[in-house]
Amino acid sequence: MNEALPQRDADRFLRMARAEQQGKLTVYLGAAPGVGKTYRMLQEAARRKAEGEDVVVGVAETHGRGETEALLAPFEILPRRPVEHQRHRLEEFDLDAALARRPSLVLVDELAHTNAPGSRHPKRWQDVAELLAEGIDVASTVNIQHIESLNDLIAGFTHIRVRETIPDSFLEDAELIVVDLPPEALIERLRAGKVYLPDTAGRALANFFTPNKLAALRELALRFAAHNVDRRLSSQLELSGERADFVSGERLMVAVSPGRGGARVVRQAKRMADLLHAPWTAVVVESASARGVAGSQREQLADNLALASSLGASLMTVAAQDVGQALVEQARELRASQIVIGKSRRSRWFEWRHGSVAQDVIRHARSIPVHVVPLDEADEKPVRAYDPYSQRDNAIAFLAVAAVVGVLYLLKPWIAPGAIDLLLLFPVVIASMFLRMRAGLWAALWAALGYNFFFIEPLYTLSIHSPADLVTFIVLATVAGVIGGLAGKVRRQAETSAGVARLNASLARFAGLMGALSDRDETARVACREIGNLLDVQAMIVSLEDGAVVVRGNEDFAQLEMVDETAARWALEHGQTAGRDTGTLASADWQFHPLKTALGIMGALGVARSTNERVIRPDDATLLASLVDQTALAHERLVLEAEARQVDGLRERDRLRGALLGSIAHDLRTPLTAVIAATEAIPAEGTFADEVRIARSETRRLQRFLNDLLEASRIEDGSIEPKWESVDMTDIIHAVLRDLRQDRPGSRVTASIDADCPLIESDPLLLRHVFINLIDNALKFSPPHSRVDVEAFVQNDALLCRVSDRGPGLPADQHGMFDRFHRLEGGDRVGGSGLGLWIAKNFVAALRGRIVASNREGGGALFEIALPLTEAARPDQP
Amino acid sequence: MRKDVLIIDDEPAIRRLLIGALERNALSHVEAGTAGEALRLATIEPCPLVALLDLGLPDRDGLEILPQLAALGIAVIVLTARDATDEKVAALDLGADDFVTKPFDSEELLARIRSALRRKAGPQADSAKRQFLDGSIDRNTHRVTIRGQQVGLTPREFNLLWALSDRPGRVITHDRLLEEVWGPAHRQDLDYLRVAVRALRRKIEQDPTHPRLIINEPGIGYRITVS
Repeated sequence: MNEALPQRDADRFLRMARAEQQGKLTVYLGAAPGVGKTYRMLQEAARRKAEGEDVVVGVAETHGRGETEALLAPFEILPRRPVEHQRHRLEEFDLDAALARRPSLVLVDELAHTNAPGSRHPKRWQDVAELLAEGIDVASTVNIQHIESLNDLIAGFTHIRVRETIPDSFLEDAELIVVDLPPEALIERLRAGKVYLPDTAGRALANFFTPNKLAALRELALRFAAHNVDRRLSSQLELSGERADFVSGERLMVAVSPGRGGARVVRQAKRMADLLHAPWTAVVVESASARGVAGSQREQLADNLALASSLGASLMTVAAQDVGQALVEQARELRASQIVIGKSRRSRWFEWRHGSVAQDVIRHARSIPVHVVPLDEADEKPVRAYDPYSQRDNAIAFLAVAAVVGVLYLLKPWIAPGAIDLLLLFPVVIASMFLRMRAGLWAALWAALGYNFFFIEPLYTLSIHSPADLVTFIVLATVAGVIGGLAGKVRRQAETSAGVARLNASLARFAGLMGALSDRDETARVACREIGNLLDVQAMIVSLEDGAVVVRGNEDFAQLEMVDETAARWALEHGQTAGRDTGTLASADWQFHPLKTALGIMGALGVARSTNERVIRPDDATLLASLVDQTALAHERLVLEAEARQVDGLRERDRLRGALLGSIAHDLRTPLTAVIAATEAIPAEGTFADEVRIARSETRRLQRFLNDLLEASRIEDGSIEPKWESVDMTDIIHAVLRDLRQDRPGSRVTASIDADCPLIESDPLLLRHVFINLIDNALKFSPPHSRVDVEAFVQNDALLCRVSDRGPGLPADQHGMFDRFHRLEGGDRVGGSGLGLWIAKNFVAALRGRIVASNREGGGALFEIALPLTEAARPDQP
Repeated sequence: MRKDVLIIDDEPAIRRLLIGALERNALSHVEAGTAGEALRLATIEPCPLVALLDLGLPDRDGLEILPQLAALGIAVIVLTARDATDEKVAALDLGADDFVTKPFDSEELLARIRSALRRKAGPQADSAKRQFLDGSIDRNTHRVTIRGQQVGLTPREFNLLWALSDRPGRVITHDRLLEEVWGPAHRQDLDYLRVAVRALRRKIEQDPTHPRLIINEPGIGYRITVS
């Protein structure tokens, strides 16, 4: 869970992509009720509506205030959704109606509101999140005490704890507008009866409105908003790639403990991380003693981890014996710059006996600063669950000791007195090794008492007379106690490491299994089977196919219930955990975890349990997360493999296309050669003289066309690679003229080459093609028997070659003249592939030259090629 | 009786056209559709004088049998596509006498065959003296005569002209010229050749920008015009 840097880049792009489609959230933040948040929100919305935006009111609490109600008048108000709950009729915000209506802005008052049971989301802010995800802007209101990370702080000085909180992370991207009212003015409004207070809470809330408290709340609100602006700025910088965030290089690690105290420490860490602009990681150490903690405490631990996660922390669980040392090691590994840890106010005696994790951390931490958050005893009340087996273990320990004492008592005459105390250690060791730690200690006590009672004078009393016996007794009691403790500890250590080893082994096995599969259904089936076995749950994999939720990997549940299908769809579309035991659609039987990868959401893993317990036991959460990751990776790999195969297919098709062109060229050329040779052999005289001439010129044209097609296909393949060599332009132009004399007898092409034309580095064959195409083009557009001129000379560090004709010149619209299949006006009449100029342009470009077309002075078109001059190497002797 | 031309082409239509052209010009011939058949006919004594070799044969690459044909003393004229420069160079290096670009003009082809036959019929009487268009070169006297006038050449230019006129009318590859005139180490130094040809052209061509004597085949080599 340690976030690697490349992953951060991927995250950044994901967030950027998401931010583009997301609706914008505007939150009107107040220090206390009655500052006029709703009023301000409605004013602002009215302005936007006046500007032509499609604004509707989802929820607006006017509390009967006339001026506020008057503001509401111009808006379209969505009807509320009636909900029956315990014979109360409640009206809730109708999320589906808002989604169906799709306005550009919805007003949803009271962001911290808790929805009536049976709603899609337990909290209203989750409704808002869904609206935002659908690209709908939302305006809402909230009071500062509902902000999760400030919850403790405010409860501390107002003595009112609000239960409805909003995670800070939800507000990170929101625009916060503080609706500010000086405390005196607010109190004035309260006195004037302008502030709505529910009757039941009236007295308590009235306590709220003292100038001091209001001033403190106001400061918090302003600070929170200022900080939010700060953070949004830096996150925008980060989105734009300038990594302003985390410039401080700070990284926080918080040690998470169960209970309310743990939650406080987490919130404190969140505030510190925000102030430092630092990423933070919440760490839980699984130690032998923590393994022994009761189930309810584990759930609290899981809750606190979930809290940390919702506040933006990365999570991490490590297994170790020495909690303090493990935390510091982890901090070093995470390169944490600061550690946050809670410390309960326990008695010195308790600390001396049990040690204090915080003290250990401070001792080990050396250079890393440690922040200790003091916790109340109330925060840290140890919770001990009833363990039905401890009584049984104690009884077994007692019976074991009693049996040994009995046997020893009967055999006393035959046993050396000194051996008895040693033999009595026997049941203690056995009990410690196989039973609970407490039972081992009890065994030590029973053994000591039994020894005293049955074997030390005076017999059958618990008193000791001889000092030697006293020493023996004390030694026995101490040794028994120490052995009991040690043996128990050894066993638990072994259990812990065995547990971790088992976990790692099963993960490795799972990864191995996943890596070996090449079929999607098979992967799903194996993943579900393995995850089911490892976590003792039912598992399935769902994915979206053509908009429908498809179940794979579990034939028993191929058909999902409506609510489960909705939860699955939620997880797949939003990439969030949904279903049972989660914040979204908790009434579902299945819990769905999205399989997220860099390629997107590959599907979702569904897990369910037939009993009423939590689907995922708190200590299985880490394992599940790893399994989900592995499953996602396996799916990602399958997709990548499929893509690779597709690319291979494309490559193969390309190769085939090339081969096809090659063979077409050969197959067309060969008969064409025969046809040309045959038409040349027929004397162009007598009755059919014209026909023979037509046949000759047309077959030559066909041949040029075929050559053009082949060259074009080479250009498209990108396989034009000039063979650079020293070139004398005289040679090139005369070779072209020779070809022309052969191909187009009777054409009048004159060459004028500057005698000082230097040698250049170029490709003679490509150049020859360029000239052939340009001269062909010129002949095509010239009147019969008119002249075409070819020139070559040096001008301004370039070798210029011109081909000009005496035809009609360039058309008015020269746009796209060098494009494929472009024919100049009347081109159809003259014929040609329409590829000539395009090929010339591409070849010249490959030769690092330029080609331009213009009109010749005195009529006709002029094409000019500029080729770069090179410093020709001098031969040793010319 | 010794045949004039061995036609080696797998296309019956082309073979028939070639035969038509040869017959009209009273040249005798034999024909082969495969490389194996060609080798069989070439080794029957007396062997043909000239072979027209198409490189794309069904059983073997024409380039493979070319050295064997050349070794038998047959003048090989390769039939090849215009843009197959590498193929032409390879053929010339393997001992081909000449090449004709497809689609060919039968007049040009016949001219090439005739000049090959001429070379076969009578090797130049005086091996120290060579003839070409408008002039001659004499190795013993170190004299070059163009249009009746003696021309002064540097030793390098003389060697180049001598190498070019070694096989008048036939293309000599760039590599071969560089090797003969400058030595094997300079086979890649094409610009030496280009510069030297320019200098030579200035001295022996009537109009150096419109060369008629020393002709370049782009990407392949030079040939000296015989007539």
